[in-house]
Amino acid sequence: MGKYLLRRLNLFVATSLVLAGVLFYTTGLFPVDRITALSGIVSPSPAQVEQVTELYALNKNTPLQFSAFLQQRLSGDLGISITSQQSVSQELMARLPATLELANVAALLALVFGVPIGILASLTQHRLTQHAIMAMTLTGYSIPVFWLGLTLSLWFGVHLGWLPISGQINLLYEIEPVTGFILFDTWVSDSEYRMAAFLDALQHMILPSITLAVLPFTVVVRITRSAMLNIMNQTFIRAAEARGLSTAKIVLRHALPNALIPVLKHLGIMLGPFASYSIIVEVIFSWPGVGSWLVSGIYQRDYTVIQGGILVVALLIMLSSILIEIVHTATNPISRKELYASN
Amino acid sequence: MSQFSIRLLCFTFGLLLIACGQQKVPSGLVYCSEGNPETFNPQLVTSGTTIDATSHQIYSRLVDYDAQTGQIVPALASDWQMAADGLSYRFNLRSDVRFHHSPHFIPTRVFNADDVLFSFNRVIQENHPYHFVSRTGYPFFQSIGLDKLVRQIEKVNDYQVIFHLNHADASFLANLATDFAIIQSQEYANQLWKQKTPERIDSDAIGTGPYQLAKYVKNDHIRYRRHEFYWGPAPKTDVLVFDITPRSSRRLAKLITGDCDVSALPKAGELPVINEHAELRLEQQAGLNVAYWAFNTQKPPLDDVRVRRALSHAVDRQNILRAVYQDTAVEATGILPPASWAYQPNDSLSDYNPAKAEALLKEAGIKDLAIDLWAMPVARTYNPNALKTAELIQADLANIGVHVNIVSYDWSVFTQKLNQSDYDSVLIGWNADNSDPDNFFTPTLSCDSVISGSNRSKWCHPDFDQILRLATATMDRSERTELYQQAEAILAEDVPLISLAHAKRLALKRTDVTETRVTPFGGISFADLKPMKVLR
Repeated sequence: MGKYLLRRLNLFVATSLVLAGVLFYTTGLFPVDRITALSGIVSPSPAQVEQVTELYALNKNTPLQFSAFLQQRLSGDLGISITSQQSVSQELMARLPATLELANVAALLALVFGVPIGILASLTQHRLTQHAIMAMTLTGYSIPVFWLGLTLSLWFGVHLGWLPISGQINLLYEIEPVTGFILFDTWVSDSEYRMAAFLDALQHMILPSITLAVLPFTVVVRITRSAMLNIMNQTFIRAAEARGLSTAKIVLRHALPNALIPVLKHLGIMLGPFASYSIIVEVIFSWPGVGSWLVSGIYQRDYTVIQGGILVVALLIMLSSILIEIVHTATNPISRKELYASN
Repeated sequence: MSQFSIRLLCFTFGLLLIACGQQKVPSGLVYCSEGNPETFNPQLVTSGTTIDATSHQIYSRLVDYDAQTGQIVPALASDWQMAADGLSYRFNLRSDVRFHHSPHFIPTRVFNADDVLFSFNRVIQENHPYHFVSRTGYPFFQSIGLDKLVRQIEKVNDYQVIFHLNHADASFLANLATDFAIIQSQEYANQLWKQKTPERIDSDAIGTGPYQLAKYVKNDHIRYRRHEFYWGPAPKTDVLVFDITPRSSRRLAKLITGDCDVSALPKAGELPVINEHAELRLEQQAGLNVAYWAFNTQKPPLDDVRVRRALSHAVDRQNILRAVYQDTAVEATGILPPASWAYQPNDSLSDYNPAKAEALLKEAGIKDLAIDLWAMPVARTYNPNALKTAELIQADLANIGVHVNIVSYDWSVFTQKLNQSDYDSVLIGWNADNSDPDNFFTPTLSCDSVISGSNRSKWCHPDFDQILRLATATMDRSERTELYQQAEAILAEDVPLISLAHAKRLALKRTDVTETRVTPFGGISFADLKPMKVLR
């Protein structure tokens, strides 16, 4: 197992290096001065020029420059934003929790609703239910997320006026950011409007999280269904049936754990599209996360913000997909066997 | 089992939705504003976004305008006298005005003459330690030449100051009442100077206004809290929030869903939506502003007056009014809007006549003319959609064989490049800062304003300047009106710019907010506004 983890870590480091290499190469391609592209200082004084040249080893050869670049970025120095002149890493840290919160709530929604519906679709003998569920997931899968987001906000926000459609919370609530996770922060805040603020934050969460959850939800339903169909035909299930176990017990104890393994694997594959969907959703609902920050950075030609955003989003995707793979391997007896079999 | 869990989930989720029905919100007001302020000191800018966010919320002035009557009324100065020769103004100051407290600054004294001296000397004296703390200069004061006008500011005692002028100026008091002429704290400035962080005076603002700055998150929001010791009538709400929302459609959506109470600068095309929503109301007032198309008169071929005249005949203003403003504006006949007291209807301005335009171009010997037209990317009060205006002009000029190339950048980049670059022409405008007619001429078309950069035509006309000087040297309104009409005639003759329209000032608000003040000029003020809702 230790050897396997080491290999995964190795993979993570190697991919990160390639990513850093690409970013390093692009800093030279931005239509601004190299010093500005690296540090974000717009019109640097001679002292600043010297300092930045020193930090990024700009007067040395390319490999040394790359290693200096890596050192800076690894120490958390992403430069300062060209438009706001504030530290990119600080801005990023302020925005990351909002993104993670939205993504987690959406993933949770997808799993909590997707797995039971998938099981239902596989078990039911009722053809209408089967077809309805399949039609629903296929529709959900084919709807473009930007259209869905706009339609939901038009209908529930503008026409019906039920739900707020932008931001994390009504700005009148003054919530001290402790963790940056708005639901948590409002819950633990000591304001007299604590409960109201929490519910308001929850309301703001509904539309964006549903919009973001639709795609993973449909995938979870379909994968769960096909995996369940497959497993329910296996001999060990028939044996369990023969032993007289109740359907519930068969499904929950014997079939579901096996069916969830491919679901997990597909979740890992979906991380990339999920991240780009989350950027679109953040922009549509003015969600103050990394995605909307990155997009506004692109509009304002804020090269340090673009680099920082790409670096962090890509690292997050890589890290979580490797984590998912590790969990997948650890829980899956078949691939666990592979662990010990060769090299 | 699985059905049961689904039911359970639906039930809990439904419960949550029901729980969201009614809730208490803190007393406060949310204003959807259109952009980030560049700074928190209005002395340093002319941009309306910054003025809105600072001038009437954080600061006070020596004298103010009454929004209804347009008369100058006392503010930090309780009364004033002008000397008979018009060369000095004596102000008696209030003695009960307190500055904001903040975590960085606790005022030990009330407002007095030292603060007035600091605030104005900073602007007019180049050797003042704080003069160059501002990197952008003081564009409004430079364009009206305040440094040349004011000889000295004398402190008589703690609560009396005298402004000594070099020459009489009828617009002097009006200029002191503009949004730019705010009062900062000298004590705060001294403290920051000792801490070697003087630039914080313009970002961590301390003033005497009804609200004090609590928090600014760029691209997101500005939060203000009520100033407990405000010298005027106490502001009606505890909290004021500016929700920074650059997109107009999103501001409208936030207004409908109740995330905002008041919203800035609606687009004309969005106005029909208001009729569908009973809870929204549109406030409008004839504005003191003008949208114009300025020519760079220093660059050939636009330095030739015949070319400029030709272009002025080629533009169909009525069409622009219809398509861009959709009846929220009146056609301009000169640079002064009908709401100004010096306005007189005036038909000397060129009519729409493409044939005449072509003839004039032929006379000037110009063929295959191609010009750049810079258009703002954002909505301003005076022009809600400059890009669309530019496209209409492009089509009009194509009729007379002139090729127009539209240039646009993001707003901050746009203003920056405009100040540096050698453009041909630009679609821009002017929003008056006070009700004095001089405000339409001196800051935008005088020779001084060529240097400060607010003269977008780069046009310097000695006779014109002379008329403006004469007009401010007298106090007689009919005489001044006469002079401003002469100035208008020179503009119509020399065409440094083509006035397009005077837009109405619009603000959208929810009906549960009490009466707002949409003033015909200057920045927005929230001190009197009160949302009535407690339950939503």
